[in-house]
Amino acid sequence: MDLISDRHPLIICVGSGGVGKTTLAASMAVLSAREGRNTLVMTFDPSLRLKQSLGVGDEARHKEVRVALDAPGTLYASLLDARDTFHRLIERYASDEESRRRVLENRFFQHLSGTLGGILEYMAVERLFEVRAEGKYQQIILDTPPTRQALDFLEAPARIVGFLDSGAIRVALKPWFDEEGHLRAASKWGALGRRAERFLDEVVGMDLLRDMAEFFQAFAPLYEGFRQRATEVEAMLRSQQTLFVLVSGAGEEKIPDTLFFARHLDDAGYNLGPIVVNRVHPRFVVEAGQLPSSNLCSPTGWDLLTWAGERDRKGLVELAKLLSREQPLVDVPLMPDEPTDLASLEALGNVFVSRLSEWERYVSRTS
Amino acid sequence: MNPIERLSRRQLVVVTGKGGVGKTVVSATLGRTFAAMGRRTLVVEVDPRENLHQMMGTPPSGGDILHAEPRLWVQNLKPRQVLDQVVRDQLKLELLTRRVLDSPIYNHFSNGAPGLKEMAILGHAYRLLHGKAEPGSPEIDTVVLDAPATGHGVTLLAAPLLVADVIKNGPFSRMALDLAAMLSDPERSGIVVVTQAEEMPVEEAVELRAALNERIKRDPELLVVNGLYPPAPAVISGVPGEKENELVSLWRRRRQINERELAALRQAWKGPRVELPQLAMDRGPALLSQLGKCFAESAAKLGEGAWT
Repeated sequence: MDLISDRHPLIICVGSGGVGKTTLAASMAVLSAREGRNTLVMTFDPSLRLKQSLGVGDEARHKEVRVALDAPGTLYASLLDARDTFHRLIERYASDEESRRRVLENRFFQHLSGTLGGILEYMAVERLFEVRAEGKYQQIILDTPPTRQALDFLEAPARIVGFLDSGAIRVALKPWFDEEGHLRAASKWGALGRRAERFLDEVVGMDLLRDMAEFFQAFAPLYEGFRQRATEVEAMLRSQQTLFVLVSGAGEEKIPDTLFFARHLDDAGYNLGPIVVNRVHPRFVVEAGQLPSSNLCSPTGWDLLTWAGERDRKGLVELAKLLSREQPLVDVPLMPDEPTDLASLEALGNVFVSRLSEWERYVSRTS
Repeated sequence: MNPIERLSRRQLVVVTGKGGVGKTVVSATLGRTFAAMGRRTLVVEVDPRENLHQMMGTPPSGGDILHAEPRLWVQNLKPRQVLDQVVRDQLKLELLTRRVLDSPIYNHFSNGAPGLKEMAILGHAYRLLHGKAEPGSPEIDTVVLDAPATGHGVTLLAAPLLVADVIKNGPFSRMALDLAAMLSDPERSGIVVVTQAEEMPVEEAVELRAALNERIKRDPELLVVNGLYPPAPAVISGVPGEKENELVSLWRRRRQINERELAALRQAWKGPRVELPQLAMDRGPALLSQLGKCFAESAAKLGEGAWT
């Protein structure tokens, strides 16, 4: 399989938090630029060290920053910032200054854009789409948010469309409130209406309802653009040109998580490429009785590493049994050091790519 | 009084930190420690894929409160179930309830409304602690809440303030205010941050502390550094096999990273800290019981002065 090739203009790395996804995404991007492409790596909040390895700072939150890599191609890095993208989106779709201001200053919006998971994740996909549309890059490598619910991210566009189509908006867009901020229905229905209004005020608070109604009305002119865009983003994620790389931790206890992701991606029709079991401990075979004995609260490094090597090997064997033979499965060994510069990122990328071709040779030999 | 004893007297102890650092194993260890101190303790996990029961050696909770050991209960909480129950309690009529629960508007609202799921989780703990839970629930002194990973953990703790800010009166608002008061009162609630001595988890732990200071105006009571490698001796002898060098350099390197990050923590983090070793054991009751001993060993060194 040509992982880093012109056939895959978009590669998306998914997996649980803390498995080294971001570093692997960056290392693939270095290889891609090395092969002569204009490449962009997009990540969420990478570690300080990774930012240093790439040589980019916080300016990458607002634009793509050129990485000082001496290669036939060029490498850019961009840090995804949901709030920033949401603001930009509203700037773009708002018909005039007044409606832009009304959305951005609405109290409901201020809570919403800071906390509402779906919107946040959607914004990342939205940014990806913008960059793709510009057509400046031949290959984009996207690292997804570091959560156990990383799939929320992929489902975000469909959820937005679902929400816009659910009827909630239609209900919200009715003119519920009169000029003085009272419920229209309440004034029509006399005493009963006033009781209903008091009841609503008690349960959720009229302030919140007024804010919500105002938000949806201010946001209304933006819906059509928003909806169409979400549909296009959805199509892009499901395109057969888009390749998913699933990164997993090593060890038996990570298997359920990895299988969950793999099955979900497959069932949902995404194009799943290799599954990478990252940071696999090397295996040491030590004869019994040759190890120094250890106190349980401070085991020796021998005990730990021998145990971890064995655990990781069992995990790999189990996982291979549970996957179909055609599913590429690659183990990347634990390196003594995390990459700290472009050269070590490239070295990691090379290990990954060579392990992948070893897997292919192995499969073609045994079939 | 030892910091751990103090923590055990809180009604609610929230355990938070980056994903994958061992929050669940630390929550279970705290739960067993508190139960051993005589507190009736419930450990609550909020994760659709249950982990806690494997560690405790109990059957999966499936949303119920299960008795695990003397004075110790466990539960995998499903926020959506709690919300649905609130709707049932409020509406009472079966037909109306079903219409609400099936409506797409309710579905989108309960999935997306800011603070709603978090309020459901905290509200559940609150009702148990104040004896307002369904009949048949055990009496609980302390709830240990294994909170969602960092960003979400802050959202969880800040949710009552957010809700109290947008809803000004009524029962929901009163509950949000009660919860916010409990979470800002160090006599009633405690926050434990779990990390590993590696770069990203330490960065996140320090950011988490800053976010807690900013959003709910308080400091965590305890930092647990999990999964430490043992110090490598200067001279290593008697190691068989040709992989000797690789193994030695890996051990040294892991420990060096641990030490570098522990040094960073000593700079950036004032307050009690417990250190737990990486143990060469698979996940399960045996690991939990050994880790409990290591926890007690490290906590005994905290003394009295470390607590502020």
